[in-house]
Amino acid sequence: MGARTAEASILRNGPDTIPQDAADVALAQSGDAQAFERLYRAQVARVHSLARRMVGPAEADELTQDVFVRGWQKLHTFRGEAAFGTWLHRLAVNLMLAHCAAQGARRRYLDEGADPAEVGEARPASPELTMDFETAIGRLPPGARQIFVLHDVEGYKHEEIAEMLGISAGTSKAQLHRARMALRRHLER
Amino acid sequence: MADQWTHRLSEYLDDELSATERRRLDEHLQGCPACRETLEELHAVATRAASLEDRSPARDLWAGVAARIGAAPSEAEAAVGGRWRRLRLAFTVPQLAAAALALMTVSAGSVWLAGPRRPIVQQAGAPATQGPAITASPVAMVEGAYQAAVSDLERVLAEGRGRLDSATVRVLEQNLGIIDAAIAQSQRALAADPASPYLNAHLASTMKRKLELLRQASRLVAART
Amino acid sequence: MTLTMTLGLLAAVAQAQAEGTDTTIAVRAGTRLEVHNLSGDIIVRAWDRNSVRVQAEHSSRDRVDIGYGGVVLRISASSRRGAPRGVDYILTVPAAMDLNLSGTYGDISVDGSAGRINVETVQGDVTVRGGRSLVTLHSVGGDVRVGEVRGRLEASSTNGEVTVEDMEGEVYAETTNGDVLLRDVRSNNVRATTVNGDIVYRGTIGDDGQYRLSTHNGDITMTVPSGTNATVSVSTFSGDFESDFPVTLSGPRQGRRFSFTIGSGRATLELESFQGSIRLIRP
Repeated sequence: MGARTAEASILRNGPDTIPQDAADVALAQSGDAQAFERLYRAQVARVHSLARRMVGPAEADELTQDVFVRGWQKLHTFRGEAAFGTWLHRLAVNLMLAHCAAQGARRRYLDEGADPAEVGEARPASPELTMDFETAIGRLPPGARQIFVLHDVEGYKHEEIAEMLGISAGTSKAQLHRARMALRRHLER
Repeated sequence: MADQWTHRLSEYLDDELSATERRRLDEHLQGCPACRETLEELHAVATRAASLEDRSPARDLWAGVAARIGAAPSEAEAAVGGRWRRLRLAFTVPQLAAAALALMTVSAGSVWLAGPRRPIVQQAGAPATQGPAITASPVAMVEGAYQAAVSDLERVLAEGRGRLDSATVRVLEQNLGIIDAAIAQSQRALAADPASPYLNAHLASTMKRKLELLRQASRLVAART
Repeated sequence: MTLTMTLGLLAAVAQAQAEGTDTTIAVRAGTRLEVHNLSGDIIVRAWDRNSVRVQAEHSSRDRVDIGYGGVVLRISASSRRGAPRGVDYILTVPAAMDLNLSGTYGDISVDGSAGRINVETVQGDVTVRGGRSLVTLHSVGGDVRVGEVRGRLEASSTNGEVTVEDMEGEVYAETTNGDVLLRDVRSNNVRATTVNGDIVYRGTIGDDGQYRLSTHNGDITMTVPSGTNATVSVSTFSGDFESDFPVTLSGPRQGRRFSFTIGSGRATLELESFQGSIRLIRP
């Protein structure tokens, strides 16, 4: 489908707005691993950062590799309707959510009654311990963290998040709010 | 300090309230400094989140990816039609027919090229390998004939591809590349596990697929002659 | 302008209207249609009359040649100079008429046929609804979509997706760079194969059935209806396997292939993916 993808991009965008990676995508789709490596270099920072925030630094490396391997396997399904990075990113999100689910980690959320200032697993709030913002995100319970990352960091809408996580849009909105409230204290001043 | 409006502040920030609700919250905000301050904080969190920078991993992860997708220098060479450009021998249609005939002999004569509708049923408790024990790759037995047929056809196509339109050539080259990559991966897997019935059959059927694509391509060339 | 042919005559009819053709020819029962179109679309629809209506759009340089001899109605195009530039056909045929349609650049579609169908194209998509007894569809660069076949189906592409729906009969579906999607299939003999694509099967698994799905670089998803009796053989090199059913292996796991039984194990399921996921799901 490589030829079609590149042609579709050209027809849609006009020759001067062809996405820079269209040629590499077409080549990679026909089996060119060097072209795929170029795509990897262009996308890895974004994918790895998503992995760090969604599953944590310990598993981010492995998950990142999983994303690119899967991207290679699924490359034939990319038809050029969106940017390659967008497509790969969506694939990454799905993979990471599946990973969390497969690990059996119960998706936990911030409770109604919980003190939103108390971010993380029953760690006593310590005034001397200034936590940076990204670390604070990592301390959120998994469900709230996924929703916060997907909405505020990655820009997905509540309807999309609801579909991806199998929850209602209302739950997504409520958890986002609580996550934001909890993270207020950890903005670097 | 929380009041009945606090939990709607995020929705307000994300412009998800109805017009009526937004108006009511606007009115409330005018008179509630606590909510205004919370709103500012929520806005700061959301802005900070949206501006987080992407960082590459500390170590280069490409090698791990490359190993898992079976990427090797030889594969990069095999992709996309390099071999077709090298040969410029002229072959006639009768020679094309002979190559196709050789193909059919290879396909029909080999036990290992999987045909449609041949079930492989594993009975409970039976040994996993039925029939003669596999000591050497069965595919090697037909590999000589296969290589000869493939080479003949590729020569014909190198000569004749100028008669095909560029879109068709692209499709054929791309798919030959896909099949070649699959063959290479299967060969590497088989090298590590030569007695596997699945890997043997899979490699054979992928090789047969390449022959069929070459045969189809040569038919297209012949149709333009 | 309509022209009705007398039965039994052997003649070439040239309609040299500027910009198009519109002709209706009466045909005997048992006549088959053969259309060869180098460039342009072919659309075939069915009606309940014993005649074939040929509507064609083309430049005035080109002309549509219709020949009716014996049991074959042959339609092709020629040009006063060089190759025909391109003809788009809309053909309305008796539902029972067998169809043999071929082209190089252009989509071919058939709707409402109750006859045998053979379609070949190089660059276009093939879309068929209907077909009896034997339906063979092939494209090189385009997608093949077919539904409502009653009989044996062979659908193949090289660079496109193959989609089969509402199918009753044996199925052979193949592509190289695309997915094979089989939905609402009632068959005892299914073979689906691709290299770079997924395979999805949602249909019956008959007690006497044989089902073989194989891919190199993609996932296999097979829906297993309740009450299925099948011996399932799963083969993979580096892929994984998931099942909605509890799986107890019926033999040693031999390297890359293992088997298990569902129910009485009568049907044969072979699921192979070199490096993708193989999943059995409930309906």
